[in-house]
Amino acid sequence: MNVPGRYSDHWVLAHGIGGAKDLPLPTELAIAGAVAALTVSFTVLVVAWREPRYDAATSGRPAPAWLAGVVDSTAFRVALRAVGMLLFVYTAWVAVFGEDLLTNPFFGMFYVLLWVGLVPASVLLGPVWKAVSPVRTINLLFARLTGGDASRGLWEYPRRLGYWPAAVGLLAFVWLELVYPHSTELGPVRLWCAVYVAAMLLGGALWGDDFYERGDPFEVYSTLSSKLSVWGRRGDLLVVRSPLANLDTVVVRPGLVAVVAVLFGSTAYDSFQDSQPWVRLTNDHLEYAQLLNHAALLGFCVGVGLILAAGSMLTGVGPEQSRRALPDLFAHSVVPIIVGYVVAHYLSYLVETGQDTIIKMSDPMGDGSNLLGTGDWKVNFWLSYHPTLLATTKVVAVVVGHILGVVAAHDRAIRLLPKRHQVTGQLSMLVAMIVFTAGGLYLLFAA
Amino acid sequence: MRHATSPRRFRPSRSGSSSLGRWAVVPLLLMVLGLAAGCGDGDGDDTAGDDPTPSASMSETPTDSAGTDEPSPSESESDSAPSGTVVQVIFKDGQITPNGDRIMADAGEPITFDIDADAAGELHFHSTPEQSIDFEPGTSSYDIVIDQPGIVEVELHEPEMLVAQLEIR
Repeated sequence: MNVPGRYSDHWVLAHGIGGAKDLPLPTELAIAGAVAALTVSFTVLVVAWREPRYDAATSGRPAPAWLAGVVDSTAFRVALRAVGMLLFVYTAWVAVFGEDLLTNPFFGMFYVLLWVGLVPASVLLGPVWKAVSPVRTINLLFARLTGGDASRGLWEYPRRLGYWPAAVGLLAFVWLELVYPHSTELGPVRLWCAVYVAAMLLGGALWGDDFYERGDPFEVYSTLSSKLSVWGRRGDLLVVRSPLANLDTVVVRPGLVAVVAVLFGSTAYDSFQDSQPWVRLTNDHLEYAQLLNHAALLGFCVGVGLILAAGSMLTGVGPEQSRRALPDLFAHSVVPIIVGYVVAHYLSYLVETGQDTIIKMSDPMGDGSNLLGTGDWKVNFWLSYHPTLLATTKVVAVVVGHILGVVAAHDRAIRLLPKRHQVTGQLSMLVAMIVFTAGGLYLLFAA
Repeated sequence: MRHATSPRRFRPSRSGSSSLGRWAVVPLLLMVLGLAAGCGDGDGDDTAGDDPTPSASMSETPTDSAGTDEPSPSESESDSAPSGTVVQVIFKDGQITPNGDRIMADAGEPITFDIDADAAGELHFHSTPEQSIDFEPGTSSYDIVIDQPGIVEVELHEPEMLVAQLEIR
């Protein structure tokens, strides 16, 4: 293992693993998934409960005392922060001193373990990034050193800013990953990371912990995904909730629509850019390919935002109700659709490229060392050799995400909308969700 | 960089040399980390790969299953796979056909690339593991065997073009 790779011309190929992608979904599976999503949507509308069920103030059973004891203990918190800092220092080390080759684990750690791994980790364990976030830790250490209070900055975080900084950060990430032509060269990615860390430390100094909760793209993504876990908080109490009840506790702030639009739109764009018509178009207009790709990424994100806005706003509202507040109030219901689609889109990538990254982490400098003892592991490609199972898993993930989303939107609608608009008012949102799910399945089928 | 004109999501395939200076970002990182300056050590070369081992498996035989272990049949023009997938590649005046086409093929079966070119070039297969064909001007023929199901992008280098997507089942 750990040969630096074959050298041919000026391209250096990574060792062992290659870049094969998933097969498209089989037609019958894609159609079955779309039909299931459609049926479930209207079934929920007709037969589901008529009184709102979820209430953040009362939902959830207290977690077992021993578990709460462990999770809330200082030792546990410090240990998680230490793990986060260790990974951060390791990442900075390979970013600065590692080779500009794809054998450098930096790329896999950044694009696969962090970006993709964040979602399953948060769905299983709760808001992990908040617990390990190195920028929070550094801010905390600075505050300790200077005798300040890390949770409070110089100023109060402006209400109107909401999640917008996170939305911008997420867009910057997907731009780097999906359209920036030098996304697998060390210099630019390292620069991106340095700017991210600098921005986070500055924001933390100005606005304290509120900034991380609302402005750190990775924390916002992780915390949103964690709302599909069973772990939640009621006040300070650690509680166990159904994922749907937990999803209802997403804190609504300005910019939430933008966050979900970037997350879903960019993943959809990633599928779309491999589709035949798009490949043809960019091949035929090589000189405009860059421009086209940028426009398409932005178009997908804006498109998702507009569909969501239209879906939530095309309803009758009460006299004192603001229609323009509705998109953010319904945005949480797109989170399960995003997570379902991310599973479908990234599953084999996370499993296989993730393994490859962990192997490479043992030899970050390409000198044959085996730091973690993983250097002689082999990537297990079992999943790719079972394409039917993989395709079925994808469709199930998308449909389950859709069901959770529709139920979440239904509960929110009967809480928010006036009685006489509750059924008709849900129709437009239902259509928006069917567009997302069917569109996602179509891209997985056509790409 | 995966593809000059139409970048794709990161796949561990290859990396060119960095266009930004290797050290350009270090001061920022150091500042950010709050570390004391002056811990730079010597290895500041910016070139991709300091171990330019030419690929042995690529240059010897025209029939190429570089990187894989299975012996592939040589002299593919007259080999036993008339039923297998055959891809006609024409590379003339910097233009290449096919132009991003989706081509179906069977896993584990040889796929024949009949190449008619007026210049040398390299076809790169984003399969697992990676494979490539270095072709010379004139007509030549190569067999590629891909074992793992999936979509395999075939790219030309210089100019960077997506030539085809092989749909391996």
